[in-house]
Amino acid sequence: MLNYSNPITEEKSYSGLQMREVKPIMKLILRGKKREFLSAVGKSLNLILPAEANTFTKSDKLTALWLSPDEWMIFSNEASHIGSNDYQIENLLNKSICKTNLGAVTDVTDQFVLINLKGDKIYDLFETGSPFNFNDFRKKKASVTQTILAKIDVIIQNETQNDVNLFVKRSFSQHLFSWMNDTASRL
Amino acid sequence: MFLIHCPYCGEREQSEFKAGGEAHIVRPKQPTELSDDQWAEYLFMRKNIKGVQFERWVHTHGCRKWFNMVRDTSNDEIKAIYKMGEKPPTKYK
Repeated sequence: MLNYSNPITEEKSYSGLQMREVKPIMKLILRGKKREFLSAVGKSLNLILPAEANTFTKSDKLTALWLSPDEWMIFSNEASHIGSNDYQIENLLNKSICKTNLGAVTDVTDQFVLINLKGDKIYDLFETGSPFNFNDFRKKKASVTQTILAKIDVIIQNETQNDVNLFVKRSFSQHLFSWMNDTASRL
Repeated sequence: MFLIHCPYCGEREQSEFKAGGEAHIVRPKQPTELSDDQWAEYLFMRKNIKGVQFERWVHTHGCRKWFNMVRDTSNDEIKAIYKMGEKPPTKYK
């Protein structure tokens, strides 16, 4: 990860809700349509990309989120080392996908900020600022959605019950985090 | 405000989408041979009717995919939604 000043510096805790930034996490966007693309990714990562809409798949080291029929986000489950933007997995995918013209790999590690939310009031917080209906989302296993929260584009991953990962563009992260703190303090 | 069924993501609120104008406008095969009036007709002139209209929409804040919609502009009733490249339903023509 490059040496950016972190927009979110502290962990916040409220009754029924804890929020913190998880970093540094490797994040890649994969794009491709062909069947060969899917099998090449599967072989390289030992992880099958989710074909069903609004779901994710997980291996020991990586999680793959469905973003659109030809787009996925992959991120590392555990924090990687600081000081480098060179990832073994990205290099592996570059070889197996980009050089064979099957699809595209983009490193978005520094473009997205991962905020982890824990507690039973997560969805109360989301419902104050999102047009998305979370009723089915929170019950369904391995669900992912891209929607708007406080007028900001976010990707929300339902990790387990009461444990949610939220991805937001870095430039919006500070504002979103302060909005979430403001809203959480009034829940 | 109304709900739109994205053909990829499912039912979402209208604020996640953006309208992309009239659908099924065919680009002229030889643009250089057209008169200015004909080119302006292709570029700018839209039906904009009150009633059933074929439109393009994009799920901007979701999967970012384009799709087509048949919508009654007088009451926002969505008659049909189909993916890009698919044939429009004939019963609304």
